[in-house]
Amino acid sequence: MTDPTITVTEPRTATVLETAGVTKSFGGVHALRGVDFSLAEGEVHALVGENGAGKSTLIKVLTGVHRPDGGEVRYRGGRVDFAQPAAAQRAGISTIYQEVNLVPLLSVARNIYLGREPRRYGLIDVPTMERDARELVERLGVHIDVREDLGRLGLGAQQMVALARAMSVDSRVVIMDEPTSSLEAREVATLFDVSRSLRDQGVGLVFVSHRLDELWQLCDRVTVLRDGRDVHTGRMDGLTRTGLVSHMLGRDAGELARDGATEFGESHLQGREPVLSVAGIDARNTLRGVGLTVRPGEVLGLGGLLGSGRSETVKAIYGALPTQAGEVIVDGRPVHRNSVRHALRSGVALLSEDRKAEGIIPDLSVRDNIALAVLPRMSRMGIVSESRIDKLVETFMGKLRIKASSPRQLVRELSGGNQQKVLIARWLCTEPRVFLLDEPTRGIDVGAKAEVQSLIDELAEQGLAVVLISSEMDELVEGADRIVVLRDGAVEAELDGADLTSSALLAALAGDIAQADAAAQEEDR
Amino acid sequence: MTRSSIVSRMVVASAFTLALAGCTSTGDEGSNTTGGGDDAQVVKEDPSASGDGCTLEQYGAEKLELAGATVGFSQSEPDTAAFRAAETESIKSAAKEVGVGKLIVTNANAELPKQISDIQDMLNQGVEFLIVAPVNSDGLDPALDAAKEAGVPVLTIDRKVTNASCEDYIAFLGSDFYDQGSRAADAMNEATGGEGKVAILLGSSGNNVTDNRNAGFKDKVESDYPGLEIVVEQTGNFARDEGQSVTEQLLQSNPDITAIYAHNDEMALGAVTAIKAAGLKPGTDIKIVSIDGTRNAVQGIVDGEINAVIESNPRFGPLAFETAQKFYDGETIPEDVIIVDDEYTTENAEADLDKAF
Amino acid sequence: MTTTATPPTRAEAETRRRRGLDLDWVRTNGVYVALALLFLLNVVWTNNFLTERTLLLQLIQVTPVVIVALGMALVIGTEGIDLSVGAVMALAAALIPLYVGYGAAMAILIAVLVGFVTGSLAGSMVAVVGVQPIVATLGIMVAGRGVANLLGGEIKTIREPGIVSLGSESLLGVPYVVLIAAVIAALVWFAARRTTYGRQLVAIGGNKRAAELAGLPVKRVVITTYVVAGVLAAIAGVLLAARSQASDPTKLGQLMELSAITAVVIGGTPLSGGQVRIIGTIAGALLMQLIFATLVFHNIPDSTAQMAQAVIVIAAVYVQMGRRRSTS
Repeated sequence: MTDPTITVTEPRTATVLETAGVTKSFGGVHALRGVDFSLAEGEVHALVGENGAGKSTLIKVLTGVHRPDGGEVRYRGGRVDFAQPAAAQRAGISTIYQEVNLVPLLSVARNIYLGREPRRYGLIDVPTMERDARELVERLGVHIDVREDLGRLGLGAQQMVALARAMSVDSRVVIMDEPTSSLEAREVATLFDVSRSLRDQGVGLVFVSHRLDELWQLCDRVTVLRDGRDVHTGRMDGLTRTGLVSHMLGRDAGELARDGATEFGESHLQGREPVLSVAGIDARNTLRGVGLTVRPGEVLGLGGLLGSGRSETVKAIYGALPTQAGEVIVDGRPVHRNSVRHALRSGVALLSEDRKAEGIIPDLSVRDNIALAVLPRMSRMGIVSESRIDKLVETFMGKLRIKASSPRQLVRELSGGNQQKVLIARWLCTEPRVFLLDEPTRGIDVGAKAEVQSLIDELAEQGLAVVLISSEMDELVEGADRIVVLRDGAVEAELDGADLTSSALLAALAGDIAQADAAAQEEDR
Repeated sequence: MTRSSIVSRMVVASAFTLALAGCTSTGDEGSNTTGGGDDAQVVKEDPSASGDGCTLEQYGAEKLELAGATVGFSQSEPDTAAFRAAETESIKSAAKEVGVGKLIVTNANAELPKQISDIQDMLNQGVEFLIVAPVNSDGLDPALDAAKEAGVPVLTIDRKVTNASCEDYIAFLGSDFYDQGSRAADAMNEATGGEGKVAILLGSSGNNVTDNRNAGFKDKVESDYPGLEIVVEQTGNFARDEGQSVTEQLLQSNPDITAIYAHNDEMALGAVTAIKAAGLKPGTDIKIVSIDGTRNAVQGIVDGEINAVIESNPRFGPLAFETAQKFYDGETIPEDVIIVDDEYTTENAEADLDKAF
Repeated sequence: MTTTATPPTRAEAETRRRRGLDLDWVRTNGVYVALALLFLLNVVWTNNFLTERTLLLQLIQVTPVVIVALGMALVIGTEGIDLSVGAVMALAAALIPLYVGYGAAMAILIAVLVGFVTGSLAGSMVAVVGVQPIVATLGIMVAGRGVANLLGGEIKTIREPGIVSLGSESLLGVPYVVLIAAVIAALVWFAARRTTYGRQLVAIGGNKRAAELAGLPVKRVVITTYVVAGVLAAIAGVLLAARSQASDPTKLGQLMELSAITAVVIGGTPLSGGQVRIIGTIAGALLMQLIFATLVFHNIPDSTAQMAQAVIVIAAVYVQMGRRRSTS
């Protein structure tokens, strides 16, 4: 504990991993400006902060991905300088990243033991490996076939495999970067159980999550980063939610309260003709006769559990998912089926859920990423007008407060939240009439999240028709004027007006009244 | 270009881990290897040629009447090369002459696996005697074994295989490449008047034709022609454009060169283009001697751009069938049957232009 | 030079340097350093090197590789590869003697048209049918060489004065072939850097799925790229035939695909696509040419020469792989 403002009584356990005055910068942006952080044995330590606060960078410094420019990292009492992630891992520091970094074409067992396979006669001892792997995943309470290719599992299951991998190396430190973002509630519970048992065995855990509730459920202490500095370290109990958020944002809690723009609900939408109307969309194995309408200025929430067909629905509207039947009408004109280009021309834009695979072009600059979809409009006779692009990019970088050292910084060097803003800018450049947003706040921190949420409201106020997908119930209930709930690829319910509550949404999601009651009780607690 | 290509092959291999090695090395090796003289070959009268020799009895084959028999010819490389075309044509016409019942001709397109399956196919079709122009000195074993099993004698032409003679095959018919080099040195002496700085355009590296044509030339120059100085030797890979590129460079790096010895006609023709481009007169300012005897090169002598060509006769047909006949007549066949190669100079080029292939 | 419209800012360059003169820098600039060093070495150590004729000769000899490599760089930018270029050169050259009776211009036009056809074929297979680039172009490579042999037969000498002068004459002291290559290089550079097409190309190579979802005309761009590569290969074939005054369907352009890929890779374009380095590619081709000339000038035996080149290429590939590690 080097932060003078915090006094922790009774240092009950030894520090296992700590940093002192660590600095690191990229492309002229200072990611870390002297961070002191310490993790004790047998604790779960939350690491929180806004986008670009330096969380990811700090983790990468701790795990040997980056070397600090200044300051030092101490592990089990001695100064360390890991040359590469493998060295950190060998020393007993395991990491679970938000995007699962495993090999989809290898079996679960192979993934767990990748690089450390048990060997026999120089060959991989498959039976032993699979037996050990099976034991390990069973301890996690997950039921998966360890011989299955990893890529065939759901994201949540893949995350558990990553955790099993971390457990299998007898780590002293486990760092979990957004481990819950792709997990279902049951899996989250399992993850927490496992985490607590690791803690009780004396392992130090670092936990990063944007779901604030989880911090109180699991963590003992918290360190808050802001603009590359550690601004607060202390125990979780006794810290209020508002207190935490104000540390993160460096603002008064009052400023933070959202203005409830969606509250004026029905009235301003009455009587308007839908700008988007969709009917009878069928897609093989995923969608069965999905239909919906959105009016200008309306935010339509699209709810559903994993696999219910939410993403598929917006993709089908956008022409990016082959459909066998169905009709999409924008502004009274039909959109050609299965044609992204025509959908775009008709004024539809889709912010895809998978930012990395379907959104950013990592090796292009912020500027080129923003202008990507409107290149023909920025060109004359096939020759690009740099000045027009500059002007456009400048406008949007300012409007969306995109943090980059310059418009020419490579987009892969930005934080997740800023990458997301770049993509939103890309779509706004196309001047859409209908904006389909698939998990727009996933994997970005509270501050950026609030910004994105209020941006969505703002866009709606300007007359855009928005379709919003979110796994976070609160976000959906608070952000949407109306919610269409999908189940098994078909519309299950539509929530409107007074029905637009969390408990009603839960009931619709589950498709079961009994569960809805249980959920309501949960909410009361 | 090919040098860098070899390296590039490594890029591809290492960068993609891609087995592009399958790119066949199309045959500079073969296409220029052998030589011939007149329409009928002449066996070089050299008793020292070859070891103990081979008889029908030793080889353990059945006697066969060639007239009416089924004979197979496995050509190694595409007939687009003049040498190959002439070779194939010669085998065909000689077969007709002898009265062979049926001649089956295949072309391996420079691919060893194809040659092996070609030969196996022909054995299945019941050939009784095989003439093979090997794609490669090594690796033909499966085909030779199959022939032995079927009791079909094999005569190899123009490229010698490393297998045991009189066991896996009867004998090898071909040119003495060392002697060709040696005679090229004689011709060079003639052309230059015994004084000159010589550049050598080598064939492909690691090829016995290249090695022998080079050694024959250099040994002869060293022993007999002290006025000839070999100043530089660089590979042109038996190809015209590479012969041209290398010559262009050599004319800059060694402006005092007065003569070029090319291991084959194609490189010599490339050198002619390069010399002209440099504003010099090929055949006069810079003397050129090469080996092969292609029509283009002999025409070059007629035009005064090339000084001499040592011929390599591709017309193996008559000699092949003559050797086969001797074999079945019970005569002893030497391991290497060497043909005398002719020569084109300013004296005979015009008259003998039609003999060029 | 990357395809981002302007060079990196000073701040970016600064951090790049601070990351410790890392492989990224070597990958981007190594080729220029190597080229400059080798050139200086030759100036000092090689007799007759610093003459107009010798220097011009290097430019003349490098033209076919440069022209083909420019097309290859674009294809590699789309995360593709074109193995057919050498065969297309041979095919184009094989047509020259056949159509030269209609005049030089007609023969050249038909030869170049063949590049358009093979390029469209390769591009359509890749973009529309979804065949892997390496497979599609390998097919065209084998078939193209076969057709060239079939049409061309044995090596033919070209005497048509128009074509001969294209290969051997100069304008104001600059050989036509060099002029043509320079114009092509300028056009390709402009297309890659300043046009919508060029921007879309690198985006597609960088993340094809994202480019599709951004409404880019992926198929059109990919097909266009293979057409450009095919046409450039055909032009290179014509120039090579004009220069050697012969058309050899068996040997012309043999292994040219590999020379071109090497030039592109040494020039710093990653094989994983998403970037196109035009100047680097030209420098890569020049470097290989200079190595060749150096070895000939010093009469280095073939075996040694191959080893020297192997070392350079392995170094280039190592730098490439280092990059992939650092960004993964």
